[in-house]
Amino acid sequence: MRIFQKTNFNFIRYRKIAYGFSIILLLAGMVSLVVKGLNYGIDFRGGSEVVIRFEKNADVGQIRAVFDAAGVSGTLKQYGMDRSFLFSTVFQGDTGQLKSLVSNALNDRIKGNPHEIVRIDAVGPSIASDLKWSAVKALFASLLAILLYVGIRFEIKFATAGVIAIFHDILTVLGLFSILGGLFPFMPLEMDQSIIAAFLTIAGYSITDTVVVYDRIRERIRGQKPSEYERIFNESMNQTLSRTIITSGTVLLSVFVLFIFAGPAIRGFAFAVFMGILIGTYSSIFVAAPLVFDWLRITKSSVRLRGSKLS
Amino acid sequence: MKNKRFNLLLIAVVTLMALWSLWPTWRDYSLSTQLDSFTSSQDSLKYALSHREEIDNARKKSLKLGLDLKGGMHLVMEVDQVDLFDQKAWNKDGKFATIMQNVRAKAAQTDARVVDLLSAEFRTENIHLSRYFYDIRNSDQEIVTKLEKESEEALTRAKEIIRNRIDQYGVAEPVITTQGSRKIIIELPGVSDENRIRNLLKGTAKLEFRLLREPEVLVRTLDRINSYLAQNGQNSAAVAGAPTVSDSSTAAPASLPVSVTPQEPVSKQPSAKPLYDVISVSPYGTAYTAERSKEYVVSMLRRSDVQALLPQDSELLLEAKPETGKDGEKIYAIYLVRKAPELTGGVITEAKATFGSESVQPEVMMSMNSEGTSKWARITGANIGKRIAIVLDGAVYSAPVVQSKIPNGNSVINGIGSLEEAKDLEIVLKAGALPAPVRIIEERTVGPSLGADYIRAGMLSLTWSFCAVSIFMLVYYKKAGIAADIALVLNILIVLSVLAGFNASLSLPGIAGIVLTIGMAVDANVLIYERIREELAEGKSVITAVTQGYDRAFSSILDSHVTTLSAAFLLYTYGIGPIQGFAVTLMIGTSASLFTAIVVTREIFHLLLAKNLMSDKSFG
Repeated sequence: MRIFQKTNFNFIRYRKIAYGFSIILLLAGMVSLVVKGLNYGIDFRGGSEVVIRFEKNADVGQIRAVFDAAGVSGTLKQYGMDRSFLFSTVFQGDTGQLKSLVSNALNDRIKGNPHEIVRIDAVGPSIASDLKWSAVKALFASLLAILLYVGIRFEIKFATAGVIAIFHDILTVLGLFSILGGLFPFMPLEMDQSIIAAFLTIAGYSITDTVVVYDRIRERIRGQKPSEYERIFNESMNQTLSRTIITSGTVLLSVFVLFIFAGPAIRGFAFAVFMGILIGTYSSIFVAAPLVFDWLRITKSSVRLRGSKLS
Repeated sequence: MKNKRFNLLLIAVVTLMALWSLWPTWRDYSLSTQLDSFTSSQDSLKYALSHREEIDNARKKSLKLGLDLKGGMHLVMEVDQVDLFDQKAWNKDGKFATIMQNVRAKAAQTDARVVDLLSAEFRTENIHLSRYFYDIRNSDQEIVTKLEKESEEALTRAKEIIRNRIDQYGVAEPVITTQGSRKIIIELPGVSDENRIRNLLKGTAKLEFRLLREPEVLVRTLDRINSYLAQNGQNSAAVAGAPTVSDSSTAAPASLPVSVTPQEPVSKQPSAKPLYDVISVSPYGTAYTAERSKEYVVSMLRRSDVQALLPQDSELLLEAKPETGKDGEKIYAIYLVRKAPELTGGVITEAKATFGSESVQPEVMMSMNSEGTSKWARITGANIGKRIAIVLDGAVYSAPVVQSKIPNGNSVINGIGSLEEAKDLEIVLKAGALPAPVRIIEERTVGPSLGADYIRAGMLSLTWSFCAVSIFMLVYYKKAGIAADIALVLNILIVLSVLAGFNASLSLPGIAGIVLTIGMAVDANVLIYERIREELAEGKSVITAVTQGYDRAFSSILDSHVTTLSAAFLLYTYGIGPIQGFAVTLMIGTSASLFTAIVVTREIFHLLLAKNLMSDKSFG
């Protein structure tokens, strides 16, 4: 079976449209980040969260009223699992107190629908700031490592364009989180540790995709004149297109399965990776390679690539 | 040819190793289903006893499930090093208190070492550390080194003591590690009574025997505080509080800042007797406060201006457990005790929870080492007729009147609520006192039912993503898809077996990592197959196409795997807990896919080609 027979898209010619599209996408995300901001999960915000599961269906409003009446302050939301609710409040070192407070309030006021507290998370403010820092460190360290590796294996122009593409992908997903955050009850899209893991996965995947295209360009560009670059870039992208689409497809398939089956704890992560891979696939074709092309064109330099083949 | 044989051998070895490493997991699973299948518990017990060794062995070597899948508690505790340094200092004055407060506020914000914060604070204040620490002749550098050592020791000791407490309580396979300069990470799988664990962990277990001041002194002191408060208004003086770290988990010594929010037990209007609104004094010279106003009294007594009114070398402490007063209200006694303890818990060698001889009240009997015994004899001998308070973590358990000299080093803590609590006291007393207070700064608890849900969700995702991806490969690449699918199965086996072999545990994020690996692992094969198709399209023979396809795709595969690996590695380095689980499976999966794609599928093709089973149609 073949999805793409011999394709012959002129990607380079339409790159400006792609640039425009990317810039609009990024700007929309940035505006939302500034105006609306992000929903931070307790990993980064600090606080306590309790997941309560009832035996029978219960109404958010009713439970909220119960908590209000019992003087338990915090916010209650539907949790992305059957008959479950997420109650969040400020950080309390003694979650035992919080647990008994919640339990007592529910036991006293909701009869005939027993509940179970299935999860308690409490993150102190100092831990939250630690987590935030290590997340930022991990992201930048990995970008630097990628920049170095691709710089050594290819050339600094290729490496820089690749890292720009990663930035593009992560920022777009971040923007999506801001825009869509809190819109869906089954998927709150809060920023937490797992989203950082998603970003690093996206970074790894995006550069993988990009490197495959680069690799083909490197293989074919040797000894060619700069006037031939446009043709070679286009042909390389067309030749790898089938692979790009198919691997993205299999990964998207897996991540989609995660999104559907793996439950609310993983859902935000799966969403981030799904979007990241879609955008990463797009960016490796429409952002990374065209940027290299433009860079070469503007500086009028020819490519001097390092170590092409290992085997 | 030789090279090929080596590859085949390698594949065989890897497969066997993977199966061997996963064998105990399979045994463990089948043995426990066997155990569950018995209808009567007697049968299953009999079976368990007869297969005991096998069950134990399998369990020990099987793939561990993470806390989130099994249910359990993950705690991060912080050793209060500010308090530790405060203990080490001498010559303390107001200036010192302000500096320490600044350090505490900063320590709450960052992960930096408290020693560094302390020395930085002293530098900005332009004061030598030697003014408060160690010898006046020491240079700042020397003192910093000494304090560094102190804090390291305190962390290790705290970890050991916490391990002791948990071992004595009995938790299967606890994992206790330190992180950075002041954190202890505690993982307790399958814990059912979280509340008890929390109580067991958070106390410093600092036991002190302190002489009580005479009742007249107590009454005089309370009078003085009352009139002072009446004159100055209860809310006038600033409460000694740094940016409020609201924290009820610390058994707070008086120096800790506590967010003070009086829960409105008294009216805000200035009262003629502000203290006596919330404290009552009996004719016998004992003082009480009701449970509802306890917080408020504690916060009031902690104010530095109120502290200044206390007699020299004295401290007001509250009772640990409430008594029931006349009208059924719970009341706490207030004691005025000497600041310097007569004896501390370091001398305790043995503790035992029992029921008292003449009452149903649980108590803890303690015996002391020889040094403690002789001191205790001297102290009791010299104070016959006086009261000695038994103070644990700043709360008075009992204050018995000394009847006679106690020569044998025995003492008893009573005034304990339940036998369970007495047992916990026994544990913490035996394990010894923590060098400094600890508090819980992160807690994640997953109940067993949610864990079971997670396992089900994880298994569903694994199965479905495997089916989807492998069927796709078969449809798209036909015969070559079989090779890719075999590689995929081997890949999953390798990931699981490496986890089992290295005693790492599988968590929900770890399962997510495997699911993601399933999607990504076929990438290498897709690269190769697409390349082979191109070569075939150029009219090359199958053999040449396969060889060149592998050769030419190699550099792409290597580059893409190295970049993914480095991202996963950094995630592992900087990530914490669950995220590390994800990073580990991603790393193993990526490395395994390098092996399965380049070596395994290639060998399969070589075999098929040698048997003439491949044609140019085999790649779909």
